[in-house]
Amino acid sequence: MIEAVNLTKVYHIPDKDPGVRGAVKALFRPRHTSKTAVKDVSFAIEPGEIVGYIGVNGAGKSTTIKMLTGILVPTGGQVRVLGRDPHRERVANARDIGVVFGQRSQLWWDLALRESLTMVGRIYEVDDARFQRLISEFSETLELKELLPIPIRNMSLGQKMRAELAATLIHEPRIVYLDEPTIGLDLLVKERIRAFIKRINQEKGTTVVLTTHDLGDIEELCRRVLIIDNGVLIYDGSLETIKQRFGKYREITFETAADLNGLDVPTGADVLEKGGRTLSLRFDRTQTSASRVSASIMSQIEVIDLSLKEPDLSMVVKQIYQGGLKETA
Amino acid sequence: MALLNYPSLYWLFLKNRIKILMEYRMNFLIGATSTIMIQGAGLLTVWVIMSQIPDLNGWTLPQVLLIYGLITLSKSINHMFADNLWTLGRDYVRTGAFDRFMVRPVDPLFHLLADRFCHDGIGNFLVGGVLVAIAAARLGIVWTPGVIVYFAVMVLSGGVIFIALNLMTCVSAFWIMDSVPVTRVVFEMHEFAKYPLSIYPRAIGLLLTWAIPFGFASYFPATRLMGLETPLWQAYGAPLVAAVLLAVALAVWRFGLRHYGSTGT
Repeated sequence: MIEAVNLTKVYHIPDKDPGVRGAVKALFRPRHTSKTAVKDVSFAIEPGEIVGYIGVNGAGKSTTIKMLTGILVPTGGQVRVLGRDPHRERVANARDIGVVFGQRSQLWWDLALRESLTMVGRIYEVDDARFQRLISEFSETLELKELLPIPIRNMSLGQKMRAELAATLIHEPRIVYLDEPTIGLDLLVKERIRAFIKRINQEKGTTVVLTTHDLGDIEELCRRVLIIDNGVLIYDGSLETIKQRFGKYREITFETAADLNGLDVPTGADVLEKGGRTLSLRFDRTQTSASRVSASIMSQIEVIDLSLKEPDLSMVVKQIYQGGLKETA
Repeated sequence: MALLNYPSLYWLFLKNRIKILMEYRMNFLIGATSTIMIQGAGLLTVWVIMSQIPDLNGWTLPQVLLIYGLITLSKSINHMFADNLWTLGRDYVRTGAFDRFMVRPVDPLFHLLADRFCHDGIGNFLVGGVLVAIAAARLGIVWTPGVIVYFAVMVLSGGVIFIALNLMTCVSAFWIMDSVPVTRVVFEMHEFAKYPLSIYPRAIGLLLTWAIPFGFASYFPATRLMGLETPLWQAYGAPLVAAVLLAVALAVWRFGLRHYGSTGT
């Protein structure tokens, strides 16, 4: 369904010295630095999959998505979406895909949602009957009814995302690209958005490519993840493997009343960081527990405050990178 | 999207645009007032000059007003339907909103133009129309069907010349983000075309005929309407000039679009 072979994108960024002199110099003798944003990325996505595409900021996620959607032309390699070159056959490709750019709305700020959706529907040439059917479907699945008469500018972040999803799916695309669909939303809304994504995937067989920083999104939705770091695909495989490998760790940080010295580290935990009055430990959830680790520390020293952290994405990426987890399918 | 469906899609965009404008009624009124005041100031200048010097290098006030009115009409067509070209860099390329056009099954240029009909142009259109009507009455121009058709074709061609020049220059947004300075340099040349080209040094006349051909939108058709002796290519050249210019502008646009695809932002 989506196929990338040695996909590469090199940007040419103009070099400028600071100040007016630099600007003038750049005007007459432009110099460029080449920056490889995506390098030799290959993968294949099958119909009906939900794939998480993850990586830290600037890792090359957006650039890849832009090449898949036909916005950017690859510098090297090939991309095929439903058998087409998405840039050269841009219009045909556009009919089959839907894109949510997390932070940027595709709706008209001042128009009531109903009108915005009508416009989007007309752009995609969705006939009236189908349009009505989808609106009533979304009224249920996205609780859209109450939003229809409201202009986008008066919506909350979560309402906006529901509106955005409706607009993206109004032409029933076979593939949707979701760029950070839950960013900034509270937990309850996140849950609803995730449930909705799952539902369209199951009911309509829509293929979903999801980029996110939120491991919760991934855990809830994806069986397969692609991890990109510095433009290079460093992992393509099941989420299960990652979870087994890294999901068992937790990080716990203590702030103590007195200076730390000569402390016994509880079994099953390692010191991550130790400074004047703060101590960070990492422990294996399968071997010990938060209460056992904290009880051990608290019995040795007075603790003013403590915080518990799940492993975040950057930590996972770093560890995969260092550990060289090789499971490229 | 099939070509046939574009007009109805444009109509839908236009209806919703008007809906938005009606919601911001105050903005609408301020915009309309400022347009009329700007036009008024321009006209006042002409009137003051012409009342001091009864003729401008042999041209009378009504004659100058006809030229002035014609270019105002052409400009207003650009202003109404293609004003969004000015904002391509600032509002679409830089913000990434242009990406949205690229993932929709419509022509991105159509989408850009349809996105914002500019109502301020309506005021200019009315002012231009009134000027032409007054000038024509004073000059004794009779509105026979032939004259009306000729007039309409010239104004439309002039509008296309404006749009093509703005389109050509706004494409620079794909390289430098803010295309406004580039567009402005070329656009402002139309100021010369508000007056008879014969009053200027030869170089300016040539510039406005062959390079930035606003002369075809004002001076040339005006002399023809006044019944002055006008070479055929000047009197009837506007549609051809407009067509060629538009073809070039569209080629430049497509070139810019390819560049956008290979750089991204």
